[in-house]
Amino acid sequence: MKNQLAKLFMLSQKVNRQHIQVVFMLLTLVLFVLGASAPDDAGVLPRR
Amino acid sequence: MILLVAILAGLAAGLFLALIQKRSWTVPPLKQAWLVVVAFIPQFINSYLPATRGRLSNDWAAAGLIFSQILLLVFCWFNRQVPGVWLLALGLVCNMVVIALNGGFMPISPQTAGRLAAPDILARIPIGERFGYKDILLLPDQTRLAWLSDILLPPRGFPYQVAFSPGDVCIAAGAFWCLASQGKTPDTNRSERLKGT
Repeated sequence: MKNQLAKLFMLSQKVNRQHIQVVFMLLTLVLFVLGASAPDDAGVLPRR
Repeated sequence: MILLVAILAGLAAGLFLALIQKRSWTVPPLKQAWLVVVAFIPQFINSYLPATRGRLSNDWAAAGLIFSQILLLVFCWFNRQVPGVWLLALGLVCNMVVIALNGGFMPISPQTAGRLAAPDILARIPIGERFGYKDILLLPDQTRLAWLSDILLPPRGFPYQVAFSPGDVCIAAGAFWCLASQGKTPDTNRSERLKGT
C-alpha cells in the first residue's frame, strides 16, 4: 500500500504545468468545436 | 464526431512535426477559455444533458444556439492571433448566419436527411420541424443561403453517415491547423530557426 502511494506521488510529480495546460486547451477546443459546429447524424432518430 | 477526429488528427500532426523538428510540442495560448465553457452551457442543456435533451421549446433552443455562437465569436476575437482561429471564426460565422436566417436552426433538406434517418420516420416529420437537436427540415427553395446549410455528406457506404455544412469543414480545418501549428505563428517559427543558426 505504501509502495503504491509512493508510486502515485511520483506520478503526480510528473504531471507538470504544461500537461495541465494541454488538457485544458484540448478541452476548450473540443467544447468550441461541439458548440460552433452543426453536423447532424440524426442521433435522436432511428438510423437508416 | 467528425470534428473530434479533426482535433485528434491535428494533435497527432502537431506532435509528429514537433518530433521531426526535435523540439517539444507547445500549447496554443488560448485566452478567455471560460467564454467557451459558458457558451457551451445552453447547448449542453439542449443537446447533451439527458434530463433536458430535446425538451426545450424551439424558441429557447434557437436563442440558446445563437447566444452560444455569439460568445464563441467573442472568444475567437480574443484569440485572433492564434494560427487557425480565423478559420474557426469563418466556419462559426458561416454556421451562425445560416442558422440565424433560418429560424435559429441549421437547415437540412429532406433529400439529405433521407441518407440519415429511416424513410418511415422521415415521412412523419413535417417540413419546418426540428430534425435532431440543431437542425430543421426545410426544402432547398425555402432555405436562405442553402449552400451554407447541412448539404455535405460522406460517400455512400461510409460506415458513419452524417450531414455537415461548409462552415463545419472550416471549423474542422481550423481546429486541425491550430493544433498542427503547435500554437506558433509562421513568424515565431522563422525567428526560432534564425536563433538556431
